[in-house]
Parts: sequence; C-alpha cells; structure tokens
Amino acid sequence: MRAYEKNKRLILGAVGIFIFLCIWYAATKLTSLGKVMPDPVTVFGGFFHAFIQPIGTRTMTMHILISLRRMLIPYVFGGFFGVLVGVLMGWYKAADAIFMPYIQMLRPIPPIAWIPLSIIWFGFDEGSKYFLIFLACFFTIALTTYNGVHSVDETLVRASKMLGANDRQLFLTIVLPTTVPYIFSGLQVALGSAWATIVAAEMIRSSEGVGWLIVRGQDVGNMTQIMIGIVAIALTGLLITTLMRVLESKLCAWTVRGK
Amino acid sequence: MSENKNVLIEFRHVDKEFDKPEEGMYKVVGDLNIQVRENEFLVLFGPGQCGKSTILNMIAGFEMPTAGEIICDGKAVDRPGPERGMVFQNTALFPWLTVMGNVEYGPKMQGVKKEERRRRAQKYIDLVGLQGFENSFPVKLSGGMQQRVGIARAYCNEPLVMLLDEPFGHLDAQTRYLMQDELTRIWQAEKRTVIFVTNNIEEAVYLADRILVLRNCPTGVKAEYEINLPRPRNYTDPEFLRLRREIDAVVDHTL
Repeated sequence: MRAYEKNKRLILGAVGIFIFLCIWYAATKLTSLGKVMPDPVTVFGGFFHAFIQPIGTRTMTMHILISLRRMLIPYVFGGFFGVLVGVLMGWYKAADAIFMPYIQMLRPIPPIAWIPLSIIWFGFDEGSKYFLIFLACFFTIALTTYNGVHSVDETLVRASKMLGANDRQLFLTIVLPTTVPYIFSGLQVALGSAWATIVAAEMIRSSEGVGWLIVRGQDVGNMTQIMIGIVAIALTGLLITTLMRVLESKLCAWTVRGK
Repeated sequence: MSENKNVLIEFRHVDKEFDKPEEGMYKVVGDLNIQVRENEFLVLFGPGQCGKSTILNMIAGFEMPTAGEIICDGKAVDRPGPERGMVFQNTALFPWLTVMGNVEYGPKMQGVKKEERRRRAQKYIDLVGLQGFENSFPVKLSGGMQQRVGIARAYCNEPLVMLLDEPFGHLDAQTRYLMQDELTRIWQAEKRTVIFVTNNIEEAVYLADRILVLRNCPTGVKAEYEINLPRPRNYTDPEFLRLRREIDAVVDHTL
C-alpha cells in the first residue's frame, strides 16, 4: 500500500496508457475504424521491428539520431541568440525598442510558412531545415529571457546596491540568476516546438529521419509507417523533455528545492 | 535634539514629495530635521503609511529628498552605499545563494579576498546564531531565521549605521519577542548606530535608546522620548507600561 502511495502518479499513468491501448485495439478490431487505422500491436510491433529491419535505408535508431541532430544544431544556435537578444532587450531600452516590433511580428508566423523561402535562401539540404527549426525556438527563448530580465525583484536590486555592488556586479549576481529559471522554461518550451517542427523540416527533400517516415508514408499510402513515425516522435519527445526537466532541477536547485 | 556632539546622520530641512498619477504631488515628508547620534538605538515610531519607510529609504540612498539634504558621516547622501546597511521587511535575501553566500555578498562585491570574507561572514553567522546553516538556502529557513540572515548580511559589511525597516513585521508574536531579544543582544555585542522603524509601540519601548514619534503625512517629529530603562527590559515593568501609555496618548491614531 505504501509503495502504491509513493508511486501513485506513475501507476495511474501506466494504467491509463494500458486502458487507452485496449480501447484502441478493440476499436480497430470491432468497428470500421480498423479500415483507416492500424491496431496498436501492428504499430508498436512495426516500431520496435524497425530498430532491426531498416525502413528506407536506415534503422529506427538512425532515423531518430539523424532527426535529433537536425534539431539540436539549430536549437543550440536559437538558444544562444535567443538568450543574447532577450538579455539585450531586457537590459537596454533602445534594444527593446528596436528588436521588439520584429519579434512580435515574426513570432506568430508558423515555421511551415517559411518553407518556400528557406529553400530559395538555403537550398534543399540541411541549411533550410536548420533555418526552420531555428525560427521555431529563437522567438520563444528571446521572449522568456526578456521577461526574466524584467521580473527582477526591485528590493533585491536595492539590497545588492546597498551591499556595494556596481552595475556590472548587479547584472551578474542579481539579474542573471533571476533570469536563469525563465531561460530554462523557455528552453523547455522551445525544445518541444523545435522537435515538433522536425516533420515540417523533413518535408523539404530528405531521405531519412522521423519526419521523413511520415512524409514518405503519406506519399506511398502506408498508414502503418505514418503511425510508426508519430510514435517515434512522441516517445523521443517525451524522452528529451524529461531529460531537460532533470537537468533543470539540478541547475536551478534554489527554485525547485523550496517546492 | 540639542546635543550636537557625535552626530552621525543629520536631516536638514528635508522634504519628500511623490508624484501620484491621480492626486498630483503628494507630500510625504515636510521640513524634517533629525540628528542621529553615533551608536544610539533610534526608533522611528508612527502610524502606518506615515512615511517612516520613506525616511529610511532616503538615508539608504534609494530615494532622494525633493528638498533639503541628508548628511551621513560628513557627506551628503546621493546613492546607496555599503556604509549604510539595510535590513528589509521582506528580508530581500538572494534566493539562489546559501546563507554563507548571502552574508559574504557585501565584502565579495568590494573585492575582499575569499579567506578574509569567509572569516568575517562566519563571525556574523555565529553572532546571529545560525552556525550549522551556512550551506542552507533561504527557502529552507523559517521567517525568524531568514531575518537573522538579513541582519548578518547587513552587519558583515561593517556599516556605520544599520537601517531596519519593520524587520519583524511579518513574524508571529512569539518569534517577534525572541528576535527583539536577539537584536538587543547582537547590538550590545557589536555596537552600531541603529535606526529602527516600527509601528509597534511595545517594540519601540523595548528596543530604543530614543524614540521619535512621527505624525501623519506630511510627516515630521511630533514628540521625542529618551528611554533610560536598563536592558534586558521587562514588558510588564511599571515604568515600561507608563512610558507605553504616555507615548500611546501622543501618537496619531488612524484607521
């Protein structure tokens, strides 16, 4: 019973997933849903089988790793420039006035709308894919960082000045630490959107990756492959966001420990 | 206020007005003249919202007078500085720093070498009774302990004057009594000029060498009392109660 109390969340989650899979299975076998959707055994069987038997030219491990690499490179750039621009806008009023209108205008445009232009600018290879994913994370990170700089507690600023800090020290010891949790939540959200954009990015000519599985599945009318692609994106997404959360709880101990 | 020797802080005809969006200029402090003597425990006592904190913020250099000037140790105050240490009502501890990190922050900003500032911080952590909690984060501490960190942090810069802005206002009654005793003990161990703001009359009489009773806005000194009771004081001592009644009769009561 105590084991149940301790792992309540985990157990309930597992039971929920099991019930969902049962309903999915029953619905495909007993109703006409089976005509438009493969059952979970076929999908998950196909997913795990793909680790041994390649789909296209690659195994599932490679599809996932290639897509992760495609996402992580522009993500790191988006994170770096997002934090940089966010801090600049938060700290300098002039930077705020200059950059903010562009960010507010460009942010609502979905990455998919940039596909034609990105092909013209960066070609069919990795460049255009990087560009889309960069856009998917840059604005979010810039804005959350900006909000972080603005959320600095005025009494902490006073305390810092009272204790003899100059402007540079004030920035490094008060403004940055206040902003770090905001940067992390921005990185967390941006990681989700960057990963979600992988399908759009791989719609631009590609021959591997989890997004390609879906695009290719659509082209050849392979329903199971589409579902396998969705499962691969979902499970990998779950894995990376969980890793990110663990990292955050280690690095922002002072905010997490109190809860 | 006739005594002129060893004056550390002096208010000369200080006015302070705030620009309120709807009411226009609002005068909080009007022609204030105060002298604070070296090493005295001065309590500013007055009704809520009367401008006590504004007076303290002007000494700290967080706010500037609209007219007149404030002299601290011979120099006009124009910005915050480490010679004027403040203990905030809401503690204002740095949540990402440990107790040690908070207390050594001041010396660190002024470039004091690590070994020296650690030694100094440890001295004040011990003084406020927090040994063993050096590596704790503030969120882990009770309200009373957090305010001890606030006091140690201000002390660690070895300021000329300690400014305490209703530091025990958020504490429960029991902890408040304890902290009043602790503050008396700390002050007697490390003599500093202290300016303590409160709206609690019992706290004022318990702690002060001298009480300035402030009137409602625009505030100024309404009455002055020297408290010559020996320390530690007793809340139920007849003389204590008499002073309490006397001051209570003078103060502006507001709702």
